[in-house]
Amino acid sequence: MSFFAPGLEDAFRTAAAELGMCSASRLFVREAASDGPDAVAELSDRLGRPFPVLDAVAAAALEGAPLRGVDPGEVLATLAGLRRLLVAGFEADFLDALVRALSGEVRVGLVRTAFLEGDWERIADNYAGRLELVEMAAFAGWAGPRSGLLTFLYGVEGAVTHVAPAWLRVAGDDVRPIFRELVGWDVLGRPMSLYPRWLTEVPAGSFTRLA
Amino acid sequence: MPPPPHHHRSQSAVTRFIRPEEIDALLEPWVPDAEDRRFLTRCLVEEGPLHHRGANFVLLRLLGELSRAVASGPERPAPGPGLPVPMRLPPHLRPDGEDDAVYPIRLPERAVERLAPRGSRDFDAIVDCLADGPPQHAVANVLMATILDDLLRRSGR
Repeated sequence: MSFFAPGLEDAFRTAAAELGMCSASRLFVREAASDGPDAVAELSDRLGRPFPVLDAVAAAALEGAPLRGVDPGEVLATLAGLRRLLVAGFEADFLDALVRALSGEVRVGLVRTAFLEGDWERIADNYAGRLELVEMAAFAGWAGPRSGLLTFLYGVEGAVTHVAPAWLRVAGDDVRPIFRELVGWDVLGRPMSLYPRWLTEVPAGSFTRLA
Repeated sequence: MPPPPHHHRSQSAVTRFIRPEEIDALLEPWVPDAEDRRFLTRCLVEEGPLHHRGANFVLLRLLGELSRAVASGPERPAPGPGLPVPMRLPPHLRPDGEDDAVYPIRLPERAVERLAPRGSRDFDAIVDCLADGPPQHAVANVLMATILDDLLRRSGR
């Protein structure tokens, strides 16, 4: 007997496109956990290999680590003094918490590029005008000595971490010296144990700030 | 046996002699904000081609040594009016405000005026040459011009 209806993978992919890989994983693991650890184990078994972020979130749950709310305090400290924050990659749980905590004087932008295409307008509408969508061709217009680039990290293991490929399209050698901060926010909190498909490995030391 | 003249040293050999905290200290008289200094220091010796990082460190440190040797006391330099050092952006992405896309350091007009009258074509061309390019060039040029101007001023010139 399965805990899940057919179409589980399609459902997860849709959620990941709209929420981000880690946020969708948190949602699915939370829902599965309401049916007990066997449901989480089945979720991990069925979707872990195609979605290694989900595998890591499920593994943490199966080890007894509770899914906590997001505390943006640490990343907020890395953004002190910035007036513009441009985000590459999307994680709804985390960006929601960060945007709520940021001063209204800080402009927040989201680069319109992702490995799964969601409905960008709908995503931005959830932020009630606080989140500006920024085209790839225009993101350098956000540069400045009070500007930061932020992306989400999926675990840090020694000297390396994993990011959405969008980060590589944004944070090139020509862009690094026109933003004061290059911030990586680890949303997973543990390295993935399966092949990190969808994601790209980068040196953890390539960020000016880690949270 | 010594390596041939054009043998490239390893990356670690270059990064080992670069001490960013010494560049930060060098910037302090002209860039009071610590976060601004950290940003400029990264641009000078932690970004861009490796040979530029190393060369910037060496030249700036030597200028710093000279500055200390000439200094008669803890007098804080007064660089006078300065010109912005713009970031290199695509031309269609114009900044919103004056300080939106400029580095947090300014080129002392007085340094340029030593070579050409203000408002002249030469003055504008000199400014363009010093402040153009990626920051491992432009910010380094401006900082060197700032220190040299300060040295000349303290030498009574």
